[in-house]
Amino acid sequence: MMELKIGWLYPTLMSTYGDRGNVITLQRRCQWRNIPVKIIPLEQQTEIDAFSDVDLIVGGGAQDRQQEIVMRDLKGAKAEAISIRIETGVPGVFTCGSPQLLGHYYEPALGQRIEGLGILDLVSKHPGPDAKRCIGNVVFEITASPLAQDLKTLLDESPVVIGFENHGGRTYLGQVSPLGKVIQGYGNNGEDGYEGAFYRHAIATYSHGPLLPKNPFIADWLIQKALEVKYQTSINLTKLNDSLAKKARQAMFKRLDLTSMANNP
Amino acid sequence: MQLFDRLRLGLAVGTAKTVTTIVKQLRLGAASVLPGEIARRLHPRLLPLLCEQVRQGVILVVGTNGKTTTSLLLRTILERQNATIAHNITGANLINGLITTLLSNTNIFGQLNADYAILEVDENVLPLVLKDCRPRFIVGLNLFRDQLDRYGEVDTISRRWQQAIIPLPKTTTVILNADDPTLSYLGQNLPQKVLFFGLSETNLYLDEIPHAVDSIYCPNCGHSLDYQGVYLSHLGDFHCPSCGFEKSQPTLNSKDWPQILIGVYNKYNTLAAGLVAKEIGIDVDTIFDTVKNFKAAFGRAEELTVNGKKIRILLSKNPVGMNETIRAVKDLQVQGKPSTTLVILNDRIPDGTDVSWIWDVDTEKLASIGGTLIVSGDRIYDMALRLQYSQDLDNQSNLIVKEDLKEAIETALENTEIGETLYILPTYSAMLEIREILTGRKIL
Repeated sequence: MMELKIGWLYPTLMSTYGDRGNVITLQRRCQWRNIPVKIIPLEQQTEIDAFSDVDLIVGGGAQDRQQEIVMRDLKGAKAEAISIRIETGVPGVFTCGSPQLLGHYYEPALGQRIEGLGILDLVSKHPGPDAKRCIGNVVFEITASPLAQDLKTLLDESPVVIGFENHGGRTYLGQVSPLGKVIQGYGNNGEDGYEGAFYRHAIATYSHGPLLPKNPFIADWLIQKALEVKYQTSINLTKLNDSLAKKARQAMFKRLDLTSMANNP
Repeated sequence: MQLFDRLRLGLAVGTAKTVTTIVKQLRLGAASVLPGEIARRLHPRLLPLLCEQVRQGVILVVGTNGKTTTSLLLRTILERQNATIAHNITGANLINGLITTLLSNTNIFGQLNADYAILEVDENVLPLVLKDCRPRFIVGLNLFRDQLDRYGEVDTISRRWQQAIIPLPKTTTVILNADDPTLSYLGQNLPQKVLFFGLSETNLYLDEIPHAVDSIYCPNCGHSLDYQGVYLSHLGDFHCPSCGFEKSQPTLNSKDWPQILIGVYNKYNTLAAGLVAKEIGIDVDTIFDTVKNFKAAFGRAEELTVNGKKIRILLSKNPVGMNETIRAVKDLQVQGKPSTTLVILNDRIPDGTDVSWIWDVDTEKLASIGGTLIVSGDRIYDMALRLQYSQDLDNQSNLIVKEDLKEAIETALENTEIGETLYILPTYSAMLEIREILTGRKIL
């Protein structure tokens, strides 16, 4: 019988804006399909073996100070374990602060530059304690390949993500593919119109809300990929009733005057 | 005061008073914000001119949770001394609300009649208020994650408070929660007189630290704090194994104190108000007596009766607060009887526009009670989704979604048997709406 181990990065340090909702969503959507699922908290004191053993990785946001603690802990063998998982195609969803963690470095509002894992070719900088935070509802279309094509097949139309962003830091992409194009909101830095990053099967985005409950197609894609990578076979997931998510999306599209999208799933 | 200043003050006060009268006459609401806004435009230095007229001094109450209840208790204690109090009881805690409150105690010549002003102040507005006001007391209750979309993070708020308090004269006394690491640290780094309140009752420790916890890291060095025990969220008995930072010593022994209402929350509120009253010089017997006879502020565990059915409104505006109200609903629920709960989620400015916090609440505990859950509010489907994901496969509650708030209340009442209690868990603006519907009066 198939089962999934979801590794949750530093739940006591990195779960600022309801990011736990992503873990809950993945867990329930597996349970509703009778796929046994285990949540593995990956904390400071967790053994490296646990990091190497996960089938899906979830990371959330943190305040600057907590973020520093994480980035100082996630070094050496732990960093390598995560890096190898992502390179071998283990899917992951990294929201809020954790994309900063995957990049080359993060410069906080106060204090020293912190080195990241360098898995994604991006850098993040906080423009200073008095700079305006990027706050508000955010809508973007997923354009990263092949994720966009996968989701189009799943949905029958362009995958549009709806969420809330609240970040002081700004992210600038190098060679890595952006996750999508901003329709409304700031995105990575409020300048270049891109949101997030996509690499192998890892999704990085500033969008919380949390991300997955209102964008359940991403949750299903992550579960599907996790099972496919783990069991090396193609997977078709049972459809679930997402009528509440649909209504939540429609309500927000309407409010943001994006009525053309209100009919989308 | 210069003659011009006096005339301008008179004009500002007169206009504001006219607006108040009109709003009240037309039954548009309680006029708790608009008059202040208008008066401030007519006279920008209004707040300092009003504050300096308060005879015995201004008491500012800040913190994420408990401002209204603490202020109300303190006010009740002071009123028993026959003191005249200006107090923004409606919870209008931005600058305009403070001015409106002070104006309502001011005559047409701009003369304010109050022995004390108890002003509940929004966390982020405190530095702004301190530019204009030399308070006698600043009471810092706690700092939880609340409305972060407007404010940024707990660390940032605490740093701003520190910067705003340091330049104040030494006549200001700062009263802080010793059990909150951020505030304990703040108090250890101020030049003013600082007194702490906190719990010293190990029998009240929680079994585990709840998920909605914000700061369990040393505010001094960033190392993980060691907790001997936690009373509520991140409030507890702690020390830092790395730099030696530890909980400040509370002035009062909490074991000797009675408390208002129910819950650990209100122990803190009691101690905060009690400490201020004691510093002012009120005898402990009077304080204890007021504590024992205290009644709830509206929306804070307030109880109403409609058609023979009891309604209890439990304000639920952030993860810590909502976890506590869910704990209260579970405790009050009659064993084995299904309960009915109405949850209303709004995302207006006073609520915070980011509703992601609902995923930090342990709503699983609410769903596990069984019975009927009714959902409404501006972000009805976000809350419905949260509750859907809270349901255990083999223990489902009945989930009803009603966009219209009146219909939601009607449905909730229909699902409540005579003699039973309907629990309503609203965010701040939803609480005002609920009360408007239930009692027919609006708060502007």
